[in-house]
Amino acid sequence: MYINWAEQEINLKIVYYGPGLSGKTTNLMHIYNKLDSSMRSELVSLSTKEDRTLFFDFMQLEIGEIKGKKPKFNLYTVPGQVYYSNSRRIILNGADGIVFVADSQKERNDENLDTLLDLENNLIDKGESLQDIPWVLQYNKRDLPNRESVSVLQKKLNFWGVPYFESVAHRGVAVFPTLKEIIKRVIVHIQSI
Amino acid sequence: MNLNKGGNGQPIVLSGEMYKSIADVLTDLSSKTRAKTIIFADMNGHPITQRGQTTEINIPNMAALAAGDFAATAEMAKMVGEKKRFKYLFHEGEKTNIYLSNVGEGFLLIVVFDSDIALGMIRIFTKRAIDTLSELLANAKEEEQKASKFLDVEFSNYLNQELDKAFNF
Ligand SMILES: Nc1nc2c(ncn2[C@@H]2O[C@H](COP(=O)(O)OP(=O)(O)O)[C@@H](O)[C@H]2O)c(=O)[nH]1
Ligand SMILES: [Mg+2]
Repeated sequence: MYINWAEQEINLKIVYYGPGLSGKTTNLMHIYNKLDSSMRSELVSLSTKEDRTLFFDFMQLEIGEIKGKKPKFNLYTVPGQVYYSNSRRIILNGADGIVFVADSQKERNDENLDTLLDLENNLIDKGESLQDIPWVLQYNKRDLPNRESVSVLQKKLNFWGVPYFESVAHRGVAVFPTLKEIIKRVIVHIQSI
Repeated sequence: MNLNKGGNGQPIVLSGEMYKSIADVLTDLSSKTRAKTIIFADMNGHPITQRGQTTEINIPNMAALAAGDFAATAEMAKMVGEKKRFKYLFHEGEKTNIYLSNVGEGFLLIVVFDSDIALGMIRIFTKRAIDTLSELLANAKEEEQKASKFLDVEFSNYLNQELDKAFNF
């Protein structure tokens, strides 16, 4: 978080976290495609030739002036693959809120949990935890036939009872509601500190 | 306010006075070096202020990438046994160069300049600017203003309304 009183500006960082291929980049692409260019920066993707996120994706949202204040939201995704754990830790630095994008497919159950624990470990290293930081869960790929039931996903991943969304990111289902909820949570959290 | 902690994810709150002092240093550096663009940002990639040509370059993206650059090379520094991140990074192009320096642990300075300007000159003036900035930041008084004061309840109500409008597809 960065606040500039002279410019009445507040910059907040929101990180999309989750296992590889769960749909993090797709969330950002949908936001990018839907929003007017006056409200967002270009989408930068540091990706491999195969389109896998190598370091991060980044885009800034600017909602415009609200009561004279200029809130800006910096959206990042992390690379999901296990061997990029260092990159995830780096990108998590300074995060004000997290969207955990889980892959609903049954065979991805273990990876979802492993990545959530990886997130918690990275937060603990910085003296934070999933208990304090604002975050939401997104169960993505709800369109696939091999999807796990939401009640099982809830049991496996949502120990903290945070808000969750059932999404189909490539069709834009629940992408904006997820974003709106994390923004709301981040703001409420700031007001409490 | 512990400005050195900026890079660790601590909230950074800049007072108006501090912001103006930083802006003055950048104005000075800009006129002395004839750099194309100068950006001061925090290590999390949030741009703070900029000088020069600022419309051709996408400032938020540039700041985010510069912070990523420092983060990546800090890991490289560790791998070769350095205790701290590299002090500066230099990227040389055909027509344009970029000189990135860290300012304390929590901030960074991006200087974009034509390749016909001598790097030595950029380095000398940038070094001076960094010294001034570091001193400014180190002597910053504990900020009274809290983040929560910046965002009152009325603000969140308006923000929610704006988000509903903006995300209404
Ligand atoms: N069936 C289905 N595919 C999706 C969904 N969301 C994303 N995808 C696809 O999953 C793949 C990986 O998505 P990507 O966003 O790159 O994953 P990331 O590694 O988390 O960034 C892409 O081919 C997407 O088109 C979804 O809701 N349903
Ligand atoms: Mg990706």
